[in-house]
Amino acid sequence: MSYDVPEQELMTPGHVACPGCGAPMAVRYALKALGENTVVIIVASCWSIIAGPFPYTAVQVPLLHTLFATGGSVASGVKAGLEACGYKDTTVLTVAGDGGTFDIGIQALSAAVERNEDFIYMCYDNEAYMNTGIQRSSATPWGAWTTTTPVKHPKEQPKKDMVAIMAAHRIPYTATATVAYPEDLIRKVKKAKDIRGSKFLHVLSPCPSGWKSEPAQSVLLSRLAVQSCLFPLYEVEHGDKYTITVWPREKVPVERYLRLQGRFAHLKPEDIRYIQENVDREWERLVAKAKASGQEIPSTGG
Amino acid sequence: MEKVIMGNHAVSYGVQLARVQVIAAYPITPQTQVVEMLSEFCADGLLDAKFIKVESEHSVMAAVVGASIAGARAFTATSSHGLALMHEVLHWASGGRLPIVMANVNRALGPGWNVWTEQTDSLAQRDTGWIQLYCETNQEVLDMVIQAYKIAETVLLPVMLVLDAFVLSHTEEPVDIPDQAAVDRFLPPYQPKFRLQPGNPCSFYGLVAPEHWMELRYKMQRAMEQAVEVTQQVGAEFGQVFGRPYDVVEKYRMEDAEIVLVTSGSIVGTSREVVDELRAQGQRVGLLKMRMFRPFPFVAVREALAGVKKVAVIDRNISYGHGGIFASELKAALYGMPNPPTVFPFIIGLGGRDVTPQSIHKIVQYTQQYDKPAEEIIWMEVKR
Amino acid sequence: MSNDSSTPKRFDEAKVIVFQSEADMPEVAMSLATTLYNKTGSWRYLRPVYRNKTPPCNHACPAGEDIVQYVGMVNKGDYEGALRRILEENPFPGVCGRVCPHPCEYECNRSQLGGAIAIHALERFLSDLSLERVLPVLKPVAPSAAKVAVIGSGPAGLSCAYQLARRGYSVTVFEALTSPGGMMRVGIPPYRLPREVLDREIARIETLGVEIQTSMRLGDNLSWDHLKPYQAVFLAIGQHRSHTLGISGEEGPGVLAGLDFLRRVNLGQKVEIGPRVAVIGGGNTAMDAARSALRLGAAQVAVLYRRSRQEMPAIPEEVDEAEQEGVRIEYLTAPVEVLRTDGKVTGLRCVRMRLGAPDASGRRRPEPIPGSEHTLEVDSVIAALGQDADLSCLPEGVQVEDNRIVIQETGATLTQGVFAGGDAATGFGTVAHAIGSGKRAALAIDCYLRGEALPSFPPLTEHVHAAPREMDPTVVRFEDINLAYFTEEPRTPQPQRAAAERVRDFAEVNLGLAESAAQREAARCFSCGTCNACDTCWLYCPDVAINRHDHTYEVNYDYCKGCGVCAEECPREAISIEEELKWKK
Ligand SMILES: Cc1cc2nc3c(=O)[nH]c(=O)nc-3n(C[C@H](O)[C@H](O)[C@H](O)COP(=O)(O)OP(=O)(O)OC[C@H]3O[C@@H](n4cnc5c(N)ncnc54)[C@H](O)[C@@H]3O)c2cc1C
Ligand SMILES: Cc1ncc(C[n+]2csc(CCOP(=O)(O)OP(=O)(O)O)c2C)c(N)n1
Ligand code: SF4
Ligand code: SF4
Ligand SMILES: [Mg+2]
Repeated sequence: MSYDVPEQELMTPGHVACPGCGAPMAVRYALKALGENTVVIIVASCWSIIAGPFPYTAVQVPLLHTLFATGGSVASGVKAGLEACGYKDTTVLTVAGDGGTFDIGIQALSAAVERNEDFIYMCYDNEAYMNTGIQRSSATPWGAWTTTTPVKHPKEQPKKDMVAIMAAHRIPYTATATVAYPEDLIRKVKKAKDIRGSKFLHVLSPCPSGWKSEPAQSVLLSRLAVQSCLFPLYEVEHGDKYTITVWPREKVPVERYLRLQGRFAHLKPEDIRYIQENVDREWERLVAKAKASGQEIPSTGG
Repeated sequence: MEKVIMGNHAVSYGVQLARVQVIAAYPITPQTQVVEMLSEFCADGLLDAKFIKVESEHSVMAAVVGASIAGARAFTATSSHGLALMHEVLHWASGGRLPIVMANVNRALGPGWNVWTEQTDSLAQRDTGWIQLYCETNQEVLDMVIQAYKIAETVLLPVMLVLDAFVLSHTEEPVDIPDQAAVDRFLPPYQPKFRLQPGNPCSFYGLVAPEHWMELRYKMQRAMEQAVEVTQQVGAEFGQVFGRPYDVVEKYRMEDAEIVLVTSGSIVGTSREVVDELRAQGQRVGLLKMRMFRPFPFVAVREALAGVKKVAVIDRNISYGHGGIFASELKAALYGMPNPPTVFPFIIGLGGRDVTPQSIHKIVQYTQQYDKPAEEIIWMEVKR
Repeated sequence: MSNDSSTPKRFDEAKVIVFQSEADMPEVAMSLATTLYNKTGSWRYLRPVYRNKTPPCNHACPAGEDIVQYVGMVNKGDYEGALRRILEENPFPGVCGRVCPHPCEYECNRSQLGGAIAIHALERFLSDLSLERVLPVLKPVAPSAAKVAVIGSGPAGLSCAYQLARRGYSVTVFEALTSPGGMMRVGIPPYRLPREVLDREIARIETLGVEIQTSMRLGDNLSWDHLKPYQAVFLAIGQHRSHTLGISGEEGPGVLAGLDFLRRVNLGQKVEIGPRVAVIGGGNTAMDAARSALRLGAAQVAVLYRRSRQEMPAIPEEVDEAEQEGVRIEYLTAPVEVLRTDGKVTGLRCVRMRLGAPDASGRRRPEPIPGSEHTLEVDSVIAALGQDADLSCLPEGVQVEDNRIVIQETGATLTQGVFAGGDAATGFGTVAHAIGSGKRAALAIDCYLRGEALPSFPPLTEHVHAAPREMDPTVVRFEDINLAYFTEEPRTPQPQRAAAERVRDFAEVNLGLAESAAQREAARCFSCGTCNACDTCWLYCPDVAINRHDHTYEVNYDYCKGCGVCAEECPREAISIEEELKWKK
């Protein structure tokens, strides 16, 4: 075994993500895919801290920290500015959390991709506002505990389907990815790099602190999310061509994923059944879309 | 070349002459003609700039911040609610020490929609770290766009140019449009001191601990202080090249004046007429035009008002719970001066209500009549 | 301070930036160095450590081969390295790759995901390559020019001689028979172990300077006094005395002892057998005798065994192959009398058995079923009931118990300078055990001759490496393997000649793996407990705290926060998590 992963390391150790955090992994892989001719934009989030305090940086490409709601807008300006200064082929990569993407930044993001600005927007989704201490976002899944959805009143709404929203903009490329599948993530980022226009990547990123999970199990959780079909890995081209990129080997019950996380500890068997039903239904819908897009469905895919 | 153009178009011509590279803007009355004309310039190839048509003013300012830190000369224009929506990002621009230039067409803020002129929108952004310059005429608007870049790029702070809604923005005046080559000599291309530069792994605007914060902010204030002098130098140089010199304040018929009107924006023009009339009548009335509000030109103001008995400050704005903003700033600036003038703080013309020569006459009369103001705020022409 | 430079800056050292005053500072919060200054290792209270653990295959290999390592080398295409690694431990990969009952494969963790790795087939694959590798002598000849005598040229004797020769000793092997190899030559038939293979491997040993004197029998033409010039002796005389049936009619023509039968067949001597042959016994000797009889032209061959298939000591594949070839196996059947007419064998009186209570060996004791006697018509009977050692040649003082030479873990007997191993001492009855026991003795003799204390070895049932590698003794189990990294892939079968064809001659039955098959098979290996440079830890470390150079890794403890992702993800349990000392009470 060995991985089809570029050697180049564009992140330095010494960054201050919590032990076992998926967020630095996601960016590390993305930078491996993109290489040095990249400018990174960090939207207010845990990554604002991870990247290092003044006067230090954990990232070996130019990087701009920006305001919470400005992931799409700042990137548009940076891209235009770089082009004006002669850097026509530099990739602009926005990195934002789920709060910065699903919530406060959705307007600027929607507008930027509607304009089909030439950049990659990568949302690392840890399913809550972690930097401010685990508050719910619209990416928080149904039933999860956060500090603003206490156990007595866990989140009652389903997670927002951000990929569908992005796909509805008919942008050239939308994809999901997660840290347990770096090769898939890297392949997608590379693909995105070669496409002109707006590219959106939704990366599920475990957060041991917010999920109340074992730091060592972050990759395991990320993998279980995929293998249970709770977080399928797929891509959407031009809003309607769906391709599933990683098929579960055999569908793992979501319970395995849920039970490793303290934020779901209060769920009752019927809650888990409800989640499972939703996962099954969504997965079927996705498979149907992939099929309608002409993808061959492997036998394990049902 | 002289053209008869509205203030908004004066902005657009200025932007064109400054060879701005990236524009982001969002429409809001009374600023729309600025961006309409710039769109056309870009579309027609009259301006080689990327125009990002974003979805909100918050995004406008974010986009120009992005363009500027990437090393491009960036511009935007807005007004009122748009400016308010930008508030958060205004700090990012100034703290980021980015030489962005923005035209703000003064307009009142709701509720109760009101599209007419009032300075409360720009003055509410007083503490964002932006240089603020107020214009009296369309010519000044155009000239200031060009100078603003030179100032901003020297001191590394953003500049907000302010012009009155309709009175300037939509009113056509003859404007001399300078020669591009001369402007190019006056304003060479932007040479950023730091920027996002591919191949140079440098990060910007990350977490700053308290141990470093004050020094960075101290440097920002020093830059602001330096901006007074730089603005004067740039104004003088502009005068040499184009024949229209500018300063941070303008003293009009101030010699041996007993009463000095202090005001800004288009009210200056109205006040000039009144001063002329009163001087013709032999009254010792002068006018101090406040071109620069931030940084506050303490030295120039103190020097101009030294020995003056009474100062009538005409504010088309209000800080609720305090009063006219120019007035309170002026009072603070005069504090500690030997024999400071008595300040008469007038508020007038909010929400676009006409400020006529008669209104100014009434202000002068009031100032002459009283030894000191009878109230904390002297409200003019309020039906009460 | 400006960052606008044409030469890009690279930050790769830990640098702390100190500002004396605001004048030293840039205008804005921009970076001037990397986060390398920030030694996040101080956060850690758990510490990952690369620690190879024992794979079950290695653990189970009596010859002490480093299976995991050489399979890994095969996987990387480094056949030469793989072969050399085997040869460090075992001079007989060609033999073991063919005849070893491969206990390693029974323990192989892959068994539960597509079938055990065909370890023996890989070993054979390597030995078949035309890589004629002779490992160099490790150490120059000892200044004392110590000489060692080895009695018996079976796998135990030759393994000992080989390891000693590699350590610079001059070794003479004395063999009673006319050619060397022990049971590898006179027991195991050539259709399982072609003689070229054996000859080649013995020749490799001789190349190292080992002298083999044949037709020299201790206690006969070789006296104990003869061995005086040797500073140490290794006794490896095997078990060559067949057990007898102990029934009437056994004496006389037509009834052969299994070992004698095989020895003669294997040495190319003439053996008379009739068309109908009965072989008594359930071990390898029985199977080999039956299959050899078929190849000599017998029309019907039956094997009679007192117990059931489960208890049969023969290697299961052997039994399958015998049956494929037409050998009939009668379980739960025992002979009671050889029937003769005019001295000629005509039949065998048999009785049916059933299994009663377990005996001392733990196997259920067979008991005759009354009234079940019956007669088999046969022309020849081969009694393959097992064998023991003829220890009459041993000198006074060498202690014997249960007809086995008493030895310690090192192979040392109670007599100074006399060591013993192989079947004569252990009775384990496999080539691999014999090899392992010869290796132990060689390592011990080396110490003995250098005047050092004898090494402390694990029990004889376990393995010893001649070229040991740092390895935690904990054996990796299937539960320790991270199955996310492996899919079920079937074991690669080794092709064989068709049964009908192979009974016609003594040519080899198994045909070996093609290179592509060997590759496929090696790729299936989990590499249990053994880092094989798969990059998983390096890839997933959220803190970029794993340094990788040239297929080795090292945790950068300056930055590792101890999250444990590397250890959790390691597909093969090659990383352990330890508590930082400061946290221990
Ligand atoms: C028919 C048969 C099939 C087998 N099949 C397998 C198999 O498939 N796989 C497996 O692993 N094992 C098998 N075995 C067992 C295996 O062959 C032995 O366990 C192994 O050979 C023992 O090695 P050794 O060196 O101890 O003794 P041996 O191989 O028996 O060698 C002892 C040597 O010492 C010599 N010798 C004896 N006495 C003297 C003396 N006094 N002086 C000098 N020399 C002497 C003998 O002639 C012989 O050459 C089989 C055994 C038999 C009999
Ligand atoms: C306008 C604004 N509101 C609130 C905040 C405070 N804030 C900073 S990060 C953050 C949460 C970020 O959540 P998310 O985007 O999910 O990223 P995470 O921290 O979870 O990685 C919040 C609320 C802010 N920086 N700006
Ligand atoms: S709080 Fe969560 S997302 Fe933020 S750094 Fe820690 S583990 Fe990562
Ligand atoms: S999978 Fe490989 S290392 Fe593990 S027991 Fe089997 S052969 Fe040995
Ligand atoms: Mg989040």
